[in-house]
Amino acid sequence: MFKIFVTVLFLLAAANPVLANDTLEISLQPDPANPPSPQMGDWLKFHSKIENHSSNDAHGVVAWISLIQVDPGKEQPVDLEDWSAHKAVTRSVLPVAQQVGVEWPMRLIQAGSYRVVISAVDRETAHVMTSPFIGFQVRQMPVVESGRILPVAFGVPSLLLILIIWRRYRHRGIFG
Amino acid sequence: MTNPIILIARKESGELLLSGRGITWLLALSIVMSVLSLLLVSNTELSLLDNASVVYMVMGTVTALGSLLAVVLGTDAIAGERERGSLWPLLLAPVTPSQIVLGKMGGQTAGWIVMYLLSLPYVWAVGSSGQNLAQAVIYLALFATPVVLGFGFFCIGLSARVHHVRTALLTGLITLMLLASPLLLGPSLRQSGIGKLFDAVNPFSAALNTFDSVVIDSQTLAVQSSRLVVTLVWLVTTALFAMRSMRKIKI
Repeated sequence: MFKIFVTVLFLLAAANPVLANDTLEISLQPDPANPPSPQMGDWLKFHSKIENHSSNDAHGVVAWISLIQVDPGKEQPVDLEDWSAHKAVTRSVLPVAQQVGVEWPMRLIQAGSYRVVISAVDRETAHVMTSPFIGFQVRQMPVVESGRILPVAFGVPSLLLILIIWRRYRHRGIFG
Repeated sequence: MTNPIILIARKESGELLLSGRGITWLLALSIVMSVLSLLLVSNTELSLLDNASVVYMVMGTVTALGSLLAVVLGTDAIAGERERGSLWPLLLAPVTPSQIVLGKMGGQTAGWIVMYLLSLPYVWAVGSSGQNLAQAVIYLALFATPVVLGFGFFCIGLSARVHHVRTALLTGLITLMLLASPLLLGPSLRQSGIGKLFDAVNPFSAALNTFDSVVIDSQTLAVQSSRLVVTLVWLVTTALFAMRSMRKIKI
């Protein structure tokens, strides 16, 4: 009986990610103009709405975007340093039944499978509230490989520099 | 007896390739190429550029740097000799003005060949994982050569006509900046009527548009024929200008 109860509760939570005691309801939608099959270097945009559906004002609201790579063997949270300059929003007060719309632009830096999710907290709620996640796939694009650049970028000037030094010392008779 | 043209060309190219000053110029050019290459991998915006776009960018830079070297060498060719006091002995030697110019042109050509060879490792480094690398190497030689040498010949002519190296160099650099402006402005130049006209007759634009067409769009030589004509007209016109200027040389 307990197992059935837990299963039903889990299914309900999965169907509606907004928990009963969440003060904020967060939606997340991809922009309709997003490329259907994005590749490295493309821009994606996501829209979210954070709504206070509790009976009290929410204070100190902070919402932020998280990106998780889910490729087998490469599961990890992604540092958004290069991906997005718009990582979080804050509101000192979000009144009852009011909502705030947020746009999250993102530059795709690396190929792979990703999930994006918006999380939010306020001062009164003791847990993190999250939006449903959105998954997307980033295609590989042939870009410059640093492994080849570095030897050439340092090697060619170094060779010329050695040639200059060698010439100078040869004229002085050091190398005969 | 050795042909005087070959003698002068050998002296000119020797000054570039064997003198400390010449090698220092090449070092400076290679450092510019290295900085650009490092930017391409370290800068987030640039490192996400498509491989073919990066090759196109490097080809444009090589053409611009080669032209810059040609402007400096061309300016120094006659006006430099005049300022160093070595022009009189050269004119009194048993060589015709045409032979002097052809010898100077030979020196220019040797300088560009070295510059081109120096650029190949960079083109390979940025382009070996992408498309049309072989085409990039061939078309860089085919289209950048007349553009670069044309700048050199133009400046040889200028330096024969004006008294001071500074004046000739400034005029050469302004001309280079004007003609190489598509490198900075990109396709936005072609949006106006004047821009389209400038693009159609500018040899630098012809070379850049060919690099774009061949490396990025994988188009054939047949598509580039009118552009090749523009660059060859530039080469022949500037060569004639240099020869003609040498006959009217100001001592």
